[in-house]
Amino acid sequence: MTDNEATVAAVDWEAYERQFEGALKEVTSLDDLEKLRVEYLGRKSALAQALRDVRDRETGMRLNALRAKLQAGVDSCAGRLQAAALERELREEQLDVTLPGEHIPRGNYHLLTQIRREVEDIFLGLGYQVVDGDEVEDAWHLFDALNMGPAHVTRSPLHTLYLNGDIVLRTETSPSQIRVMEETKPPVYMVSLGRVYRRDTVDPTHFPIFHQVEGLAVDRGITLADLKGTLLHLARALFGEDREVRFATDFFPFTEPSMQASVSCFLCGGAGCRVCKESGWIEMGGSGVVDPNVLVNVGYDPEEVSGFAFGLGLERIAMLRHGVPDLRMFWENDLRFLRQF
Amino acid sequence: MLVPLTWLREYVDLDVPLEELAARIHTSVAEVERIVRRGVPDDDGNLDLYRAGRVVEAGKHPNADRLQLCQVDVGEGEPRQIVCGAWNFGAGATVAVALPGAVLPDGQKLEQAKLRGEVSKGMILSERELELGQDHTGILVLEDGPEPGTPLADVLPLSDTVLELETTPNRPDLLAVYGVAREVAALFDRPLEPWPGSDPERAGNEQIPVKVEDPEGCPRYIGRLFREVAVGPSPPWLRARLVSAGMRPISNVVDVTNYVMHALGNPLHAFDRQKLADGRIVVRRARKGETIRTLDGADRTLDERDLVIADAEKPVAIAGIMGSENSEVGESTAEVLLEAANFEPVAILRTSERLGLRTDGSNRWEKGVDPYLAEHAARLATELIVELTGARWLGEIDVKAELPKPPVIRLRPERASALLGLKVSPDQQRETLTRLGFEVSKRFDVTVPTWRARDVTREADLIEEVGRFRLDEISFTLPLRREMFGRLTKEQRLRRLVEETLVGAGLAEAYTSSLVPNDPEPNAIRLPEPLSADQAVLRTTLLPSLATAVERNVDAANDEIALFEIARVYLPPADPRPAERWRVAGILEGGYGRAKGVVETLHATLKLEPRFERGEHAFLHPGKTARTEAGFVGELHPARLDGSWGAFELDLGDLFGRVPDRLAYEDVITYPAVRQDLAFVVPEEVEAGELINAARAAAGPELRQVEIFDVYRGEQVGEGKKSIAFSVAFQSPERTLSDADAAALRQKIANTLAERFGAVLRSGT
Repeated sequence: MTDNEATVAAVDWEAYERQFEGALKEVTSLDDLEKLRVEYLGRKSALAQALRDVRDRETGMRLNALRAKLQAGVDSCAGRLQAAALERELREEQLDVTLPGEHIPRGNYHLLTQIRREVEDIFLGLGYQVVDGDEVEDAWHLFDALNMGPAHVTRSPLHTLYLNGDIVLRTETSPSQIRVMEETKPPVYMVSLGRVYRRDTVDPTHFPIFHQVEGLAVDRGITLADLKGTLLHLARALFGEDREVRFATDFFPFTEPSMQASVSCFLCGGAGCRVCKESGWIEMGGSGVVDPNVLVNVGYDPEEVSGFAFGLGLERIAMLRHGVPDLRMFWENDLRFLRQF
Repeated sequence: MLVPLTWLREYVDLDVPLEELAARIHTSVAEVERIVRRGVPDDDGNLDLYRAGRVVEAGKHPNADRLQLCQVDVGEGEPRQIVCGAWNFGAGATVAVALPGAVLPDGQKLEQAKLRGEVSKGMILSERELELGQDHTGILVLEDGPEPGTPLADVLPLSDTVLELETTPNRPDLLAVYGVAREVAALFDRPLEPWPGSDPERAGNEQIPVKVEDPEGCPRYIGRLFREVAVGPSPPWLRARLVSAGMRPISNVVDVTNYVMHALGNPLHAFDRQKLADGRIVVRRARKGETIRTLDGADRTLDERDLVIADAEKPVAIAGIMGSENSEVGESTAEVLLEAANFEPVAILRTSERLGLRTDGSNRWEKGVDPYLAEHAARLATELIVELTGARWLGEIDVKAELPKPPVIRLRPERASALLGLKVSPDQQRETLTRLGFEVSKRFDVTVPTWRARDVTREADLIEEVGRFRLDEISFTLPLRREMFGRLTKEQRLRRLVEETLVGAGLAEAYTSSLVPNDPEPNAIRLPEPLSADQAVLRTTLLPSLATAVERNVDAANDEIALFEIARVYLPPADPRPAERWRVAGILEGGYGRAKGVVETLHATLKLEPRFERGEHAFLHPGKTARTEAGFVGELHPARLDGSWGAFELDLGDLFGRVPDRLAYEDVITYPAVRQDLAFVVPEEVEAGELINAARAAAGPELRQVEIFDVYRGEQVGEGKKSIAFSVAFQSPERTLSDADAAALRQKIANTLAERFGAVLRSGT
């Protein structure tokens, strides 16, 4: 046995390992861990010494294994201590998480745009086209083709804004229906949404410009029952799945029969309240079976095809559904109003 | 149209709950706007507290000069002491009495009271207190003295329920209680009473000179002459009916004309015959400048378009609209000429609109009244005038053109069922039509009753008649669509994308008026008759209205003001119609940079490369305005609005026209890009946009990206010059570009910029 071998043999390596494990358990800081590492694994440690002195292969492998094991113990302890230290540090960085976030400017769709899109999407889903149509129209498309003769009341400049001669600002979106029918063969399924103009004095429920949605379906075999079903679908999509729709006879030159459609009040469910003026029902708009004269005017054969049409005001839908008290608010563009929706 | 139920029941015997009646009328006849109760509330036995009473004793109240103290027998054995403020009656009179506890028409409850020390156990009523008329000057004295204690409701129309109908303009026949009764009878399958009114015996055969010079305007004129007319107040039943129907009782003769109009729908007029020059009636067009003082006291100037009723000398009524003071029936009237005519609607409507004079009469005429109705109206009025005024009916004339024959229309019952989407058997259809007064032959040739002849002229109109009685039975279905699918157009989809982008960029959407007070475009289209000076011009730009909206928000101290609008402008010339262009405009806090940033984002979303060059716009800062292919971006001219506001307005058509329909894949991944920074020194007046455009043109598609990251002015570049630093990326989809390739591209750019702008490449990395 050489001196070197004696040095190696002088150490009880199992005890060495036990002592290390025992000390490792007591370690609470990275500094202590470093001391422990220097003591058991450092250059001057008995293990390092022995590894330098060892001469036989078997012992060498054993000691190497021991060194790897102790190093692994140090590393894992260091990992734990570092994680704990980071955790402590982070806890000190505590934030008032209830403070507001960084401000990101938010834009906003006008309420009427939101409703316009809702209506468009409902009818796109039913297979309808959306048609924009012109706002400046001629009297043929606005009146004559829609079966409103020269003596019709609405044609009077008391109701309609004229540009010159028979050029007018449309009082409803229906002339676009005429134009579509003039240009295409049936079937036609379309809604037309946009601005319309009437000679109305401004007050909480009137503005000379407002937005209408008008729908038209012309096809073989269209019935009044189809109109009822379509408006029921619309009313439920806009005002809730529990709504009912009822129809009452009315008169419009371009439909025959003509009807006013009402929806059961979404607020009181029909019991009567302020919104529905105690009647339980809210008027939605006019509707009816397309008058045969209108079909003839666009070159359709009323014996071949039939149709229905309806019209609603977007402002009215918005005011009812959201409780907007004054129509003028839609045009004032006060951000406090716009941002509510 | 006000329909008192007691009146309605005179023509149709009805025994259905009010709610059901109203609901069915609403669905099938006309909108029921309201149900109003008139007069004494008819519940909780309230009517029992109203009695006829006989005044047994009447004398001055001991403590009050203006009050009477009465003892009134109301059938209780002992008379009641009642204090009363009126003096138009005395002992022996039969009066209307309300007993303590009674609820009055105005809702007040009557209590037993002490008035100036005397107990009053009830109230003697005036007709106004009973809502039987306007007269409140005295107590209502009951004629024919019913027995004391008789329930007052047996002798007076104390209470009534009134349906307020909003009838449609195609149904003048519903502007008559009898017309409504006809519908109700049909709805509930009850018999309708025959036409009310029958001629009493005529007491003479005097000639009435009537000449109709305009038979087109006046297809029929029935005149009837009455003498020994005693004008006075109408009886309570008639006054009550008029009040219930919303009219004011005036005198028996006038009240009869109003009553008959409301009952049958044919307006009537009564002239004081002795005030008619020559006792003659001429129906003619007015002469230009002719004047008339109408019954409302206004002097009105007429012209040749106006139809008038004249005597031998002057107009005595504007036909169908209003009578004149010069021939008015008054207290002294002893001879009455009753007019039951028919007038064509168009002339009446025009005159009434032109004069701004709308009356119950014009309202009916302008919708077209059945010319056959005049004889029924004349008959009912004659009966009532003779009965109520003691007059003698002495003469009659009926001038008429050939009256139109009722239309006959073929109905195909199977077509009605098909169009309604409801199976209605031919028999049921026949029944509905027959109940409404149509005559239906075996082959379904349908004769339209004269009162519907203007409205029902085609098969579709008959189908409506069948349908409106069954609206609730028709089911809810959806069309069985063929060959159709719903899809937004490219333009509509892109418009939504623009909205989404701007909302995402923090702008709030505004809606502003298309009609503006003025417009920068001198040829902008003006309305010849605008609503107001503020709404006189169709705008050619959105920015001014949007600036107004911004200003309002500034005034309201709102924060982060950023608005946009998508709407149309209307570009002249109007030949005949102006060009309508969709535009998007925005105004936002933060000046040019913000606005340009938004415009660039918008272009990026649409996959467009905008080109900016210096531009001018009346509304924008002259030094901070750029033009793009689709419009303008700039800073709002400070004269328009204080502060620094970025603004833009782009034409969506121009923008969308350039949006590619399809985006093709480009390989930007396989071969890396060579990135370099280039700085050019250029004279101050050279603008960055020009350099970029020129660089792109010079380098071609291998210049993938070029962005400006710095602009520097200072000693190093010299006076009057600036250095613009670009970050560029060269890339090819086909190969890796070498340093030499990049250098060559850089050189091309440098050469072009040097040549065109005198640019000196300062550094390149």
